Formats: sequence, structure tokens, C-alpha cells
Amino acid sequence: MQCGLIRDSIDRWALTYSPGIYTCIFIDVKENSHMEYIAKYWVILVIMIVYTAFCLLIGQWFKKKAAENVDAFYVAKREIPGWAISLAFFSTFISTNTYIGQAGFSFQAGLSWAWVGFYWVVFCMISWLLLGPRMRVQTAKLKSVTIPDYFDYRYKSSFSKAIRMFSAVIILFATLWYMTAIAKGCAHLLVSTLGMSYAWGAFLVIFITTLYSVLGGMYSVLWTDAVQGLIMFFVAILMVMIPAMYVGGWEPLMYSVAHTPHLTPKGQPMGNGLMTFCTLVSFAYITSIGLAVGMKQISEPRCLIRFYSIDNAKSMKFAMIATPIFLGVSLACVFAVGALVHGMATDQEASYLVKHTDEVIGFMLAKFNNPWVTGCVMAGLFAAGMSSYAAVSIIVGTAIVGDIWTVIKPLEPKKQVSYTKRLMWIYSAIVFIITLYPPAGIVELTAFSGAVFTAGFFPAVFGGLFFRWGTGKGAFWSMIIGIATTVIWRFGLRFYLPGMKDIHEIIPGFIVSLIAYFIICKLTASDKPDEEHLDHVFHTKKS
Amino acid sequence: MDFLTGMSYWGIILLAIINAIIVSRMKIVFHGEEEDEEEKRGSCSVG
Repeated sequence: MQCGLIRDSIDRWALTYSPGIYTCIFIDVKENSHMEYIAKYWVILVIMIVYTAFCLLIGQWFKKKAAENVDAFYVAKREIPGWAISLAFFSTFISTNTYIGQAGFSFQAGLSWAWVGFYWVVFCMISWLLLGPRMRVQTAKLKSVTIPDYFDYRYKSSFSKAIRMFSAVIILFATLWYMTAIAKGCAHLLVSTLGMSYAWGAFLVIFITTLYSVLGGMYSVLWTDAVQGLIMFFVAILMVMIPAMYVGGWEPLMYSVAHTPHLTPKGQPMGNGLMTFCTLVSFAYITSIGLAVGMKQISEPRCLIRFYSIDNAKSMKFAMIATPIFLGVSLACVFAVGALVHGMATDQEASYLVKHTDEVIGFMLAKFNNPWVTGCVMAGLFAAGMSSYAAVSIIVGTAIVGDIWTVIKPLEPKKQVSYTKRLMWIYSAIVFIITLYPPAGIVELTAFSGAVFTAGFFPAVFGGLFFRWGTGKGAFWSMIIGIATTVIWRFGLRFYLPGMKDIHEIIPGFIVSLIAYFIICKLTASDKPDEEHLDHVFHTKKS
Repeated sequence: MDFLTGMSYWGIILLAIINAIIVSRMKIVFHGEEEDEEEKRGSCSVG
């Protein structure tokens, strides 16, 4: 690990650079004994141990209940209250990347960067208003417990099994990079905050998260997600207050941000660019990121599966109101943080940070230099990472066993739960190995996998929920065409056609797959399920 | 902070309020709720 920017003002602490993820690191250069180590890090250690113990306790608490049957392990018997699902949806969608990467990027882009958050809230509303209630009702009627088996039971065609297995394979492939990126980010946080080795950090994060997910199944995933969501919500508010507390109030902070002498990455003076609309970043780029990430809420299984577990209509209504509030308030805070950190940075520090925006949050914590605040923010960052990891971990286990294994060779329900647990461990072991040797461009792969989900799953989900005329062939081919368009745009066109760089692959992939769904469903009308089945699904006749 | 930059912040709050109004006027009924309750009282095994 090499040392980067050393700050003169704090002699014991060094701001360093760790490979892969840039972050602020607290290292005592002279440290050499365990006692000194504990004396120095005890606050962070206590917070992290309490947090970890709490997660494991929840897993243990629900162990027996989750092992009862497939319905319990996969969807928590659809008996989780709306407020918990609301927080779980928020914590699952937002990961460490938002609290470090997106928050830090506003150091370069200015306060206009919050428009990305605006887009995300719009898609959160679309997800809950359009998909949530119908998904809960239809999946309960069809006894669906995973997204791929929803495609199977809803479309009930000669292509149903193919859609189910194909979508499970997409989940397995796309999720691997996402889980690796989260594990890598959390491991680097442990390296940074506690001076732990990267391999041990990765092992602990993966082991603890998988352990509580396997113990309590969807129960522990949802309840830990809910608690983690609450922590993240308050940490977002805490983070935006740190620059103001450091400078001595909001008024002097806003003044210094509006009159900053700092330079852009190209060396131009920022002037009042941090406070004016899209001076430092194009609206096309904001829209691209806003859509690319925001649309995950209407297509990724880790978000959609949340709807399955809500206990009743009243809870659904509460969650529909509360989720955009949790998400919106948190994002409004988090997206402003980077820009506000200009008020804390000297010209020299700013010239470094503007080119390394992933280090901005770490820099802010180091400069504020309060171990309790650092401990709380770190707990929030881990909560963001672990909640997303746990959510996808169970999605992967259910996809392998529920949507591939049982389709090929049916299993007893008890065996299905037991096999799912084992497969979750095996998949996590694979993630651990990849995390030790992460491929280059893992962040890009993660973003790309989000586009694959949107192009592949959204038409099949949306059409299945709303259109009686939706067919299995339409769903299957829209997946293939959508994913193919995404791949071709990303690797063949985006960076080779002039002016297309800012058009994220999610946009053409989404549009083409939606058009393909409509056209192919109309052309294959004979593949439509029988009317009795459709009446049952859409509740148009008592069945 | 100019109007359009500020709009991203108060706009998020406005969206949340609009969403709350829309949801409060929506009638959400789980048609299968009664059947689910019956199932829960009986066998829970789904596979």
C-alpha cells in the first residue's frame, strides 16, 4: 500500500491510497502492538462488533422459522410488515458505491449531481406504483417464490421452462460481478478503517453476510436489511452535516462553496460552478447515470423480490408512500456531500481530490477526525454493502436450486431449502476467490449487468403483470433481443460512434426489448395461456 | 444556488409528496388475501 497525500495539519494520521478503491485510511505510521491497536481503534471495533453480532442474532432468531418450508425460506411466507419491506427495498437498492462513489463525485460535478438522485426517486415511484401491488397479488396467486418461476407460471407456454432457466442463468452470471464488487469495496473499507489484510476483510464480509442469510433465509435478509436501511438513512443525514459542523455552520459553508478558488480536473477555476446548474457536468451524463442505475428498481430481482414478502394491502400502501421518502431524503443528503467537502479542503487537497473523487468521503472523515462519527459512518457504509450482498446471495441460491435444479429434477421441499443453503455457501466461496483476484473493470461489469437485467427482465415482468395478451415466446425473445442489443451497443457501438458515448446501453436495450415484446407477443398470439388461467392471474373471474 | 440546481433537492421532496397523494387516493386490494390467509392457517408447504 502506498502513501498518497499526507496532510500537515494532523501529524498522526495519513491519507493514503489503496489499490482498487480510493479511500481515506487511518494508519498510525508507528503502530506496532496489539494494545496500541485496540486502544486506537476501540470505538470503531465496538461499533462494528455490535453491528455484526446484531446481524447474526437476527439470523439465529429466524433459523427455525426459515427452515420450515420453501415459502418461508424464499419469501418469508409473505408476512413481513410494509415499513420493514420499505427500508429493505431502500437498503438493497443503494449500495456502498452510492455512499462513496456517487457522494464523492459531486466534488467534481457540483450540487447539480443531485439530479441523478431525482431520477432514482422517479423510478422508485414507478416501481412501487406500477409493479409492487400487482406483483404481490399475482405471485401469491401463482405461488411464485422467485422471479424466474413467475415467468414460468404466468406465461404457461411451451417456452415457460426455457424462460425460467434462461433468466436464472442471467441472474447467476450478472450477479457474480455485482457480489464481487460489493465484497471488494467492503474489504477495502476494512483495510482502510482497521488496518486488516484485504483477504481477511473479504473473507469476513462474505462469511458473515452469507452466514446470517443462510441461517434465517429471507426472514433474516429482510429484517437485517430493514435495520441496515435505518442505519443508512441516519448516516446519510450525518454525512451531509459533517462539512457544516467542520466549517462552523451552513452559512459560512455555502459561502465558501459558492466562492471556491478550487480548480476543475482540467485546471479551470470552478468559480460558482458548484452551485449553478450543470456548469461542471453535462445534463446528458446526469440523465445517463440516472436512468442506468435508477431503472434497476424496475427490473432487478433483488428489488422486485421485495414485493413478494409484504403481508397485506395496508402494508403495501404504507411502503409505497415511505420508500420514496427514505430514498429521496437519503439521496438528497448523500449527493450533496462531495460538493460541500470543498468547504473543508485546501487548494492542494482539492486539486488531488477532484481527480480522485472516490477518496472524498474518506478525506472528509479524516479531516473531521472524530472516531465516533467515523465509526457510525463506517457502520452505514457496511450496512449499505452487506444489505445488497445478502439480498443477491439469496436470489442466487433460489435461482440455482429453485429455477434450474428443480426444473431438471424435482426435489422435496425440505431438500430444496437445504440444497439452497449449500449452494449459497458454494456461490459465496466462488465470489471470495474472484474477490481475491478481481478482474479489471469490475465496476463497469457491475454497471453493465444492471443494463442486462433491465433489457432482459423488464418487458417480461411488466407485460406479465399488465397485458393478458403477453406470451411466453414474446417474453423469451424480448429477453434475447434486449440482451443482444445491450451487448452490441456496449461493445460495438457506444464508444465507436461519434456523440454516442453518453448514451448508456440500458437505453437502447430497454427500448428495443420493449418493442420486441409487443411485436412478438402480437405475432405469437396462439401461445397465450388459456382464459381460465388468465382470469385467475388477473382476478377477472372468481376461480 | 440557482433555481434548476435547487430543484433537484426540493424536487425530490415534491416527488415524495406527490407520490403520497397518489397512493393515498389509490385503492389497493389484495384479491388473494382471503385465500392466502386460509392457506396460512392450513398447510404452509409451497414447493
